[in-house]
Amino acid sequence: MLPSSAPLLGLLSLLAVGAAGAGSAAGARRPGLPGPLLGWAGASAAGLMLGVGYAVLSAGLERAPTAAALASAAGVATLHLVAGLRARRSGGAVDAPSAGGALVATAVHSAAEGIAIGGAMALGAPFGVLLAATLTLHNVSEGALLGAALRADGRTPGSAAAAATLARTPQVAAALAAFTLVAWRPEALPWVLGAGFGGLVYLVFAELLPESYQAIGRTGLALAVIAAAAIVALLGGSARAAAP
Amino acid sequence: MSGIDGLTRSPATTVFLSALVTALATGLGALPFAFARDVSPRVAAASNAVAAGLMLGASFGLLAEGERHGGGATFVGAVAGLALVLATQRLLGEHAVGVGTLRGAGARRVLLVLVVMTVHSFAEGVAVGVSFGSGGALAAAITIAIAVHNVPEGVAISAVLRSQGASVAACAGWSVFSSLPQPLMAVPAFLFVERFAAVLPYGLGFAAGAMVYLVLAELLPEAYEHEGSPRIALLTGLTTAAMLWFQQQL
Repeated sequence: MLPSSAPLLGLLSLLAVGAAGAGSAAGARRPGLPGPLLGWAGASAAGLMLGVGYAVLSAGLERAPTAAALASAAGVATLHLVAGLRARRSGGAVDAPSAGGALVATAVHSAAEGIAIGGAMALGAPFGVLLAATLTLHNVSEGALLGAALRADGRTPGSAAAAATLARTPQVAAALAAFTLVAWRPEALPWVLGAGFGGLVYLVFAELLPESYQAIGRTGLALAVIAAAAIVALLGGSARAAAP
Repeated sequence: MSGIDGLTRSPATTVFLSALVTALATGLGALPFAFARDVSPRVAAASNAVAAGLMLGASFGLLAEGERHGGGATFVGAVAGLALVLATQRLLGEHAVGVGTLRGAGARRVLLVLVVMTVHSFAEGVAVGVSFGSGGALAAAITIAIAVHNVPEGVAISAVLRSQGASVAACAGWSVFSSLPQPLMAVPAFLFVERFAAVLPYGLGFAAGAMVYLVLAELLPEAYEHEGSPRIALLTGLTTAAMLWFQQQL
């Protein structure tokens, strides 16, 4: 039987997916969203993800260090492999993907985010809520970029929103799958937490930080990331204490 | 207590020598760079990415350790560390700086890393001294842990220095230099153990705050300039996880 927080997890994951759709529609209507705004959003999301990622991996390492470490390496390596395949298919243009490529990339990394949400929720509801809220914020800005790419590809705002939402559905599926796996096999928790950490840090270093550096510069980014991570650290203390 | 004859060392000397060993262990971090002869911009970017991952992992470990001694004190220390690096960065930005044969922006980055790592060694020296005041088994465990922990720190320092063209000997020398506060702080911390134990979480937070800022404001932007973000993400992600795993084993 699934724990009582399963419906909450489903709801939060759906909200995060809906945020991507809303962001995509906004990006398709107004493709020229201010870069600094997206930069600050990206830096804040990066800090929150690093803070939650650390808490998630630490919990995994405390339970089974080698399993959590191997899973995190596998998470990083898998996303890197996918990025490499994408780059090969688009002739190396990772930073300027086609709309179709962007949709595939979104689907893959949203699955990785889903695993992290499921693992965080299995660790404790406060962790899960915090990470889902962080990813919701991130999904809005990412959806806006995706919407602009889809608009350039000739899609209407409604179609862009639908495509972005659809591309994000693996997040809900992966979150519920990871959560169910841990409820069924608790010994899988360190693996799920490690894989979630791997997915989050790869996303931070491969996408959020490079884009945000260009938009807001080094010092602004460093301060925004540290401030966001500090918020997680302060909130995470009580969440950690509540974790089983 | 002093030594009774020439064969018996005083406890303070034992503490000093133990902390000296931990400092010398930092120099071992330069060894991997003896096998990398050319430092192309891409190799330098990869070194910076590895250093960023190691420093980020080490910072997470420092914060966790600090939290065990006092979360508030660790937070205050982290803010102070961040402020010190910002102030140092601003100060260095107004002056031409040099480290050995290095000049310009690279020298500024190296100097920042050295300042931060050297300052954070004070906290590690305090940890060694305090552990000796708490008993033999704990002292041995902490000394070995810090000595082993210093090796990847030496790798991180050497990665930054090597990326600027420094020799392996210089990398080893500067790495050991950054840990010299350890033997210097261990003895007073051992002699006045209770007072120094209270300072420990501030020192740990200080180091973490300073290092995270350095990673974000100096190392990663430099890495992204010469290498694609997927490869930087791969290296930094893997080394962060490896460093966290490594610290868990200690």
